[in-house]
Amino acid sequence: MSIPTLQGLQTALSGLIASQQALDIAGHNIANANTEGYSRERVVLETNPPITIPAASPLTGKGAQLGTGVAVADYVRIRNLYLDAQYRAQNSSLSSASTQAEELEQAQSAFNEPSSSGLSSQLSAFWSAWSSLASSPTSEAAKEGVVSAATQLTTTFNQLSAQLTTIANQAGEQYTSLTGATGQVQDYANQIAQLNGQIRVAEGAGQQPNDLLDRRDLLLDKLSSLAQITVTKQADGTDTVTFGDAAKPLVEGTTVQWPQALTKAAGGQLGALLGLSGEGGTLAAYRTALDGVAATLAGAVNALHTATPFFTGATAATIAVAVKPSEVQTSSTGAPGGNDVALAIAALRGGAADQSYSALVEQVGSDVMTAKDNKTNQQTLVTAVGDQRQSVSGVSLDEEMTNLITFQRGYQASARTLTAMDQMLETLIQHTGQVGL
Amino acid sequence: MSDRITPAMLTSSTLNDINGALAALQRSTSELSSGKAILEPSDNPYGASHAIDLQSQLDGLSSYTSAVQDGISWVTTAGSAMASMHEISERVRELLVQSSNGTINQTDLNNMGAEVEQLAESIKQVANTQYAGQYVFSGTQTSTAPYKQGPEADEYQGNAGTISRAIGPGATIVVNTNISTLLGNGAGSADGKLLDTLRTIAQHMRGGTAEDKAALGSTDLKALDGNLETLTQLQATAGSVTNQLQTAASRIENLQAAITKSLSGTMDADIAKTTINYSNEQAAYQAALRAGANIVQESLLNFLH
Repeated sequence: MSIPTLQGLQTALSGLIASQQALDIAGHNIANANTEGYSRERVVLETNPPITIPAASPLTGKGAQLGTGVAVADYVRIRNLYLDAQYRAQNSSLSSASTQAEELEQAQSAFNEPSSSGLSSQLSAFWSAWSSLASSPTSEAAKEGVVSAATQLTTTFNQLSAQLTTIANQAGEQYTSLTGATGQVQDYANQIAQLNGQIRVAEGAGQQPNDLLDRRDLLLDKLSSLAQITVTKQADGTDTVTFGDAAKPLVEGTTVQWPQALTKAAGGQLGALLGLSGEGGTLAAYRTALDGVAATLAGAVNALHTATPFFTGATAATIAVAVKPSEVQTSSTGAPGGNDVALAIAALRGGAADQSYSALVEQVGSDVMTAKDNKTNQQTLVTAVGDQRQSVSGVSLDEEMTNLITFQRGYQASARTLTAMDQMLETLIQHTGQVGL
Repeated sequence: MSDRITPAMLTSSTLNDINGALAALQRSTSELSSGKAILEPSDNPYGASHAIDLQSQLDGLSSYTSAVQDGISWVTTAGSAMASMHEISERVRELLVQSSNGTINQTDLNNMGAEVEQLAESIKQVANTQYAGQYVFSGTQTSTAPYKQGPEADEYQGNAGTISRAIGPGATIVVNTNISTLLGNGAGSADGKLLDTLRTIAQHMRGGTAEDKAALGSTDLKALDGNLETLTQLQATAGSVTNQLQTAASRIENLQAAITKSLSGTMDADIAKTTINYSNEQAAYQAALRAGANIVQESLLNFLH
């Protein structure tokens, strides 16, 4: 039994084609070496179906199978889905931690402690002014001093309270803009839904839409920084995405369900913003604590300053000085030289108001410290998982260079095979039957 | 460590390292330039709140210092006033002893009586001593002179109110002296206090009767000695107040030193340590930069032709 004369040409050709495709893929990888979210691709080569030659050996009569070259079976996208899920979970936590750290740091700088201009210094100056007044109770200048120290103190209370409110409001506005009709959530969800549709069509046609999958995965990564997401792969190639603690899936097939209500349990940037800005949020708690300091201060001073209330307002936003310098009371009897009231008020230094304020500063400080530590830890985790992902999916130029050489050589060798076949046939066609001429 | 290293991993980890080294360097720089280890509460929450407390304590102590200094000046003023009163009273006593000598004639006695009246006015003048615009012997009525001038005006114009100075947390000390316990309200009240005694002595000197003369040597002398004893007691009290104030001043000074030290220990950067850290971090930063510059450049491409 003989083999087809031109089979060798076909075999060599298949080698040429396979090498060329492999070179193309290496080129694609190199071109996208720095593309965000790109996963490297690899050709899967398979041998072509062999030709069966019955009774190939005239001696034994055994048959044989003749290889017919190579074909590209698939372009595989090298990606670990488990690492993707892990990356997104950590990325949500990172985004939550860094949002918290950022917002709380703003609150911390509003407190401006420890410094010579923070509320603690104003409080201290207020008590000192009362001490001075106690030493010279008839001095108009000392009374002016008390009122001006008190006015600075109340102004600082008002400003600090306003700053905390502003920070909380800004966090709320940020949430609204991210979740709004033109916000990032809607935008990402729309793109994912669109890609779901395209991927479904491509996979339905039996194609492997590697680059569409990469783009969808990249969008899911970005979406994960806004809230915790879970991604469920469907048989038709679409991804179903649940978002934070929203009741319905954000993306299902090509349908987007947005807006939906979230709570601070949503995780990610949105969860953190809700946890900070909402009622009972961290910033509101700071404001409440500051109100407590203001109320304690006003209560304690007013209880001693019996002639007329010294402070009005019992919140940090509303506290104000209610007396003129001439109305500042120094003694309980009204005698000009008496200083028992001034002494008693000066003795409030280090009392409940001071203590609750320094406890608040400690609270803010430790919240910021925790948030920063969380951020650093999460950053390390995200970097670690990201590195693992890169290790699997990233393009290595060294590797691609090696592939280029490998397949270039393969191409050259296939071409040489073709030449050999050609020369063989030339011998057969041109030189056969010309003996003795 | 992953098995497969890609240039992107190398780049990102090098960049992370460089950023980390730079952040550490920046931290040390701001510690060194500000001299503070706590720049914001999150650097050390407990330390920051502790520093706030300590700073307020320090401010409080300097308030106490000025209150104590003010108290010392007040008591010193009152003390020297009482010393003058004592001198004047001693002069009265000399006159009294002379007058009770039977050989002295009535003209001299009349002159002595006039001098005693004069001395009584001097005592009232001394009692009207002021410190920083406040009458020190008027109780809390510090804008009212305790005594008016004139023989018929010996009524005490002040009150029995006390004036205190804070000398420490929760500690106050009374700095004023209730001079009416010594001087009283004059002859009209017959309270046996100094002014009453002086007016009685003057009256007895001018009276000229045998009873008057007898009284000069007996009851009047006894009354004056009693008044002098009261004055000595008041002076002793004022002296002890001065001592207490001075003790308080030195205690406050010690506390200030201790708290300043504690505040500095909490807030201030350890310059020696930070400087060494700074040098290490600088070396680390340069090494990270150099490694980045060398490693990231290399690839198989450099060796293929």
